[in-house]
Amino acid sequence: MTPYEFLAEVLHEKYDVARDVISPDATLTEIGLDSLTVVELLFDVEDEFEVEIPEERATFQTLAEAAALVEQLVQAKGA
Amino acid sequence: MRGRRVFVTGLGFVSPHGEDPEAVFERICSSESAIRLARTGTPEFGADVLLASIDFEPGDRIGKVDRLSMARASQMAVVATRNALDRSGLMTEGSGPEEAGVYMGCGLGGAEVLQQSYRTYFERRSRRVRPTTVPMIMASGPASQVSMSFDIRGPAHTYSVACASSAVAIGEAFRSIRDGYAHVAIAGGAEAMLNDGTVAAWQAMGVIAKLHPDGAEASCRPFDSGRTGLVLGEGAVTLILESEERAEARGAEPIAEIVGFGASSDAHKLTEPSVGGQERAIREALEDAHLPADTVGYINAHATGTPAGDPVEIEAIKRMFGPAAQNLAVSSTKSTHGHLVGASGALECAITALALRERRIPPTANLTSPDSACDLDCVAGEARDAPDLEVALSNSFAFGGSNATLVLRRFDRGRLDA
Repeated sequence: MTPYEFLAEVLHEKYDVARDVISPDATLTEIGLDSLTVVELLFDVEDEFEVEIPEERATFQTLAEAAALVEQLVQAKGA
Repeated sequence: MRGRRVFVTGLGFVSPHGEDPEAVFERICSSESAIRLARTGTPEFGADVLLASIDFEPGDRIGKVDRLSMARASQMAVVATRNALDRSGLMTEGSGPEEAGVYMGCGLGGAEVLQQSYRTYFERRSRRVRPTTVPMIMASGPASQVSMSFDIRGPAHTYSVACASSAVAIGEAFRSIRDGYAHVAIAGGAEAMLNDGTVAAWQAMGVIAKLHPDGAEASCRPFDSGRTGLVLGEGAVTLILESEERAEARGAEPIAEIVGFGASSDAHKLTEPSVGGQERAIREALEDAHLPADTVGYINAHATGTPAGDPVEIEAIKRMFGPAAQNLAVSSTKSTHGHLVGASGALECAITALALRERRIPPTANLTSPDSACDLDCVAGEARDAPDLEVALSNSFAFGGSNATLVLRRFDRGRLDA
């Protein structure tokens, strides 16, 4: 599962976000997550991909940007 | 000064005996125990402990996302309140009465969430503790979650008074209505502290009951010479309290009336109860109710089943009532539902309300060989019809020496204009 697919899946399954609201361009705020839930979501992603998202790099707005960051971190880990 | 009359117009349970108040009352009257021997913690590092735990599943009664930020005690409080609002006819499209106050008792809040955060820190060697930990562990979680879940906008206050928490919460809710600050309140308590770390701490105190040869169900034995300690339980109980005007205006059928509340402190020892402090709480409650002591027919005792505690309460009752104590029925329903700590006072107040309505006194289970120091009528083993029962007390006495007594009166429509 790619980071984007994982995000989409967790948002729907765990956080009850309707599938039609979830798109690469949607921001986490538009999706309706509050700040604590965003941190929980990042923990879920970190656990799944065994990466740590540095606070200073957590500047993404959209799901696609978040997924891209996770992909970079996964690649950096493998390098 | 006598203010508004205050009626109990709804009950909601999440209890070791189940969620339906009438069925729970029947089980307690039948001396059916909810106490089991359970493994807490891990197979190699846990312990077999007597517990009155609940196989709790909120299902679709709490949204999936809401549940992520609710500790077990809060989830139980929300479901108990939903039950109470539904049963009292006060739920409108998922919301309760907007003007109501919420008065909840809770001892430890999200005990299991705190344990999990320490596991993350110490076992996984990680500082990545869940960000919702703080709002989930606070003792005020249940009150806040009830307010948010049902759009209730009066004060949402928490009373953390150890084992007396929810008795004090109900007492303060009662006062808020009687003294003119509100017409409706959601009052009760929630506790869910049966996670292994907390249970281990209770075991270390040496107050937990030992397994009786007749089995787990026979192990909580208040007033009995063979008693060995208390059994921890969990759950949440909500009472709807309404002023007479409000209840009458909507045609509510009251279950019972709350007529007095007394509270006191022992100023003595942290865990050793005092006769004087308990007697004072009972006296203040009866004075608050403007009722003479000889009107009381039943006391739902605090009695947890510890060797030290039960005789102190009996002595306090004797000092307070004098020779009339011999005419009282005194029972400890903890013998079958265990000690719900912060939710205990609410469950026992609700049972007392049902005892008045049904005119039926629930028994002390497992009382086969009464302790000579507990020489009052402790309603051994079998429930008893009480055709003249008018007034009853519910006692809650806490670690720290905090004592609370609630006075309840049978609801009688014929007496409304009196």
